[in-house]
Amino acid sequence: MDRRAVFFLIAAVVAGALIPLVPHDPDHPAIRYVGPTLVVAYLVLALLSYLDHASRRRDHP
Amino acid sequence: MANLMVIAVVGIALVFDFVNGFHDAANSIATVVATRVLKPWQAVVWAAFFNFAAFLFLPLEVANAIAKIVSPEFISIGLVFAGLMGAIFWNVLTAWLGLPSSSSHALIGGMVGAGFAKVGPDVFTAKTMVTLRKTGVFIIYSPLVGLLLSFTLIVIVMWIVHRIRNKNAVNRTFRGLQLVSAAAFSLGHGANDAQKTMGIIAALLIGAHKLDASVLDDPNGLPLWIVLSCHGAIALGTMFGGWKIVKTMGTKLTRLEPMGGVCAESAAAATLFFASYNGIPVSTTHTITGAIVGVGSANRISAVRWNIARRVAWAWVLTIPGSAAVAMLMYLIVEVFN
Repeated sequence: MDRRAVFFLIAAVVAGALIPLVPHDPDHPAIRYVGPTLVVAYLVLALLSYLDHASRRRDHP
Repeated sequence: MANLMVIAVVGIALVFDFVNGFHDAANSIATVVATRVLKPWQAVVWAAFFNFAAFLFLPLEVANAIAKIVSPEFISIGLVFAGLMGAIFWNVLTAWLGLPSSSSHALIGGMVGAGFAKVGPDVFTAKTMVTLRKTGVFIIYSPLVGLLLSFTLIVIVMWIVHRIRNKNAVNRTFRGLQLVSAAAFSLGHGANDAQKTMGIIAALLIGAHKLDASVLDDPNGLPLWIVLSCHGAIALGTMFGGWKIVKTMGTKLTRLEPMGGVCAESAAAATLFFASYNGIPVSTTHTITGAIVGVGSANRISAVRWNIARRVAWAWVLTIPGSAAVAMLMYLIVEVFN
């Protein structure tokens, strides 16, 4: 398993786990979008990283 | 007598700001030093200038958040003194151990710890909890955002430059760009970190009835002398720098080339700007560490020295409870002499 993909996956899980803890701050509503954005971005990176790793292994078995 | 004590505690707050600059700003120039774009003394002068200039660019949202972390009705001169001493003690200890901890979180831990020693659980008001929860979540989010942005940036940049044969020209370009990214990062650092001390001084003056609490309703309502003195103190602290920490951050986490340095600093600067606009007291150290790890992991995940990163992470986790415990003890000592 690609270690980088695992790292990004763990980052996505940690970012997701913290979403309920982000407080409601009416003066700064943007902070509520940070967690979901991180989750999506790290999941995409994990997927791309895994595909990159898999394609390298197929080219150089 | 009360006036003298207020002046003394303001002085201690500015010393804290100086130590903050000494401790944290060194991290902010680590990548410039590590990539040899600037000599250490040039880098500290460059960073100090932009630390000071930050007040011209960013609102004082973080200062307001810190000023409200302990409700004004609980604030006393002794409480602020104990909170500051807890934070300063923690910073000195971690600097002595060569650990990049966070002055910001030490300050928050110190204030809450001293507040808890004074009024018990009542210190955790709704406003305090909003700031604490924001701060706590962004202990994790700020390095993750820095890492994500720097990783994305370096991948894009590598994709753009990988066909260019003249690698020396690429390096030269990025060495020049690193001056810009270092300046942006120092602006973000100056804004976010100096504002924490402004918040403490504002809280002290409100508690001592020298300042009206309504100034906190305006993002730029603090008196100019507080703003200028805090930026001046952090800039001076930067000038004296903490070289032991520069070494840890700039060379031990992962080795950096100028291109990586630009990406790491730009990513960290963007994260700090976001935090400053949204009143989130984040750690410069956390942010740049995440960004440096992002650049390292874009090359190879094994390029990141995880044992050092783990040591750094432990210092982060321990900072708020550690400084809070020291501040509680300090407050109890203060009360004995009161």
